[in-house]
Amino acid sequence: MNELIPLMVIFPIAAALLINLFGFKSTFVKYISIIVAFIIPIIPLASNFGLHYFGGHAPLESSLSGILYHTAITYSFTAFEQLFIFILGILGFFVVLIYVNSYKKASGPYLFLLFMGIAAVSALILSDDIFHMFVFFEIAAIVQVGIVAASTIKDRYEIALKYMIVGSIGSPIILLGIAFLLAIFGNVNITDIVNMINAGFPAASSPVFFASLALIFFGWLYTAGLPPFHTAKSGIYSGAEPQGAALLQAFSVITMVSILIAMVRIFSGLEIFNVILVAFSLLAMILSITMALVQTDFKRMIAFLAVGELGFIGLGMGIGTELSMTAGLFQAVNEMVITALLFIGFGAIAVVCKTTDINKLGGLISDYPKTAIMVLIGGFAMAGVPPLNGFQSKLMLVQSALNAGYPEFAIIIVLISIATFVVFVKVFYLMFLKTKPKALEVSGEKIPKSTIITLAVFLIICITLGLFPSIATDTISGFVGGLL
Amino acid sequence: MIMDLQLASLLTCGFLMIIGMFAAIFIDNVIKKVIGIAFIEEGVNLFIVTIGYKAGGVVPIILPEMDPSWFASNAAYPLPFGLVLTSIVIGASTLAIMLALIMILYKKYGTLSAKELLKDRSKEAVADE
Repeated sequence: MNELIPLMVIFPIAAALLINLFGFKSTFVKYISIIVAFIIPIIPLASNFGLHYFGGHAPLESSLSGILYHTAITYSFTAFEQLFIFILGILGFFVVLIYVNSYKKASGPYLFLLFMGIAAVSALILSDDIFHMFVFFEIAAIVQVGIVAASTIKDRYEIALKYMIVGSIGSPIILLGIAFLLAIFGNVNITDIVNMINAGFPAASSPVFFASLALIFFGWLYTAGLPPFHTAKSGIYSGAEPQGAALLQAFSVITMVSILIAMVRIFSGLEIFNVILVAFSLLAMILSITMALVQTDFKRMIAFLAVGELGFIGLGMGIGTELSMTAGLFQAVNEMVITALLFIGFGAIAVVCKTTDINKLGGLISDYPKTAIMVLIGGFAMAGVPPLNGFQSKLMLVQSALNAGYPEFAIIIVLISIATFVVFVKVFYLMFLKTKPKALEVSGEKIPKSTIITLAVFLIICITLGLFPSIATDTISGFVGGLL
Repeated sequence: MIMDLQLASLLTCGFLMIIGMFAAIFIDNVIKKVIGIAFIEEGVNLFIVTIGYKAGGVVPIILPEMDPSWFASNAAYPLPFGLVLTSIVIGASTLAIMLALIMILYKKYGTLSAKELLKDRSKEAVADE
């Protein structure tokens, strides 16, 4: 059923509007949100793979060049997109579940933002049209700001405004890059642009094409939260509610991957593209782990680690071999689940202890043993400890770096993973094992069952992908083969 | 003359973007920053419109009395105009959200200084405790 392809975007948008409309009826909003969140991951599983042309406008063949031109916005749905949208749907379901269980009165606008975000990033990964991607990239950015502004964190408006100002400078720049592509090719469909480049379109080697790469790359850095935007991005994560942050990072990962794939398709012929991609990814990994090491606020620490992990994705894509790109995209899938687990797990501790300062915590393992064990394993997954999913993707990255003749990258990956492990051991000791400080008052509040179930499900996904990585890598490597 | 029009338009784009970038980065007043951001956005929008400009062209709406081949060679390229409409709507939305956030923060702090509004308060909170 190819008709289901656009439904992956239209359904969450329609649901979001309905929920916002009936936002004053809290019980209705709660039930309808759970039902919608349950249906969202089912749609990609029920849909057939293929293309969807909006308005039914199929591509037309040029009588001069023989190139097929897309006359309408096109969505491309393969097993790769299915994997990402399904994982996003699962995360979305559990985030909504935690939210409706945490608050007596559900906020219609907040749930509206969550569903709009899911729709926006689904559109981003499905779209074959770079301007259409820009539109949903902007919607996703506004949603991220909205989720932060709707939180109960003290400095939420300041964080939201800072991100908005930075983003509002980044967005026109990415749009200017797209406008340059439009000026060169007269088209914004990525497949059409790639076909024109492959057909030897002369302007593809013009300085304007380089300028377009520079501008879109700059916008992508903002999207991904790579340097120089890593501080603003980590601020957004730490400024959101825990479950909101879990979904926000998934939005960032999918947005980053979607735009990165578009860039790889259009600009991979330019040697400089891979060089700058690797350089910024390495910079992100090193800067983020350095910032994470010195943090005393554990939410901010995870936020920096989440940004740093994005560098692994960029590095894999930048090395440019089939194995490295598969590893990079596998890392993206893993990161979505692991970081969501950590944000929700640590966030639950922050709620019951009413502090995020690790120096004020201690001895929590006796109060919250299940949560402690699960966040520890989540931390190990992020650090790349076997047999978890993070280990598999990082091992693939190390192998691909060695195979491609870049042992120095392999060393950096191992060192960053060790540093991540050190960060987690330190935080785990300070929060859970160290003697409980006298000043610490644990409210006695239990961590909700919905949070524990969510953590357990995410952990099962981490272990399953760790033991059977081929569930994801077969799909991803097939996609990467097509990309190359 | 025709070339001059496009050139003038492109120069205006550059001018708008440079002024906007200057205001957004270097001016401390957040309202002026937002005005700068609006300048950047309008500069980019003008650039997109300029791409679609066709000297002596007609509006890209085909009428029954028009010969299709004449229309194809004389109509302006419609895609940039479609894109720029969407871009204007997005720009207006982001500006509205920024202004709403500024209003809230102005009520809270009584200042429009970006240095004051956006400074890292986590250190202050630690010092207070």
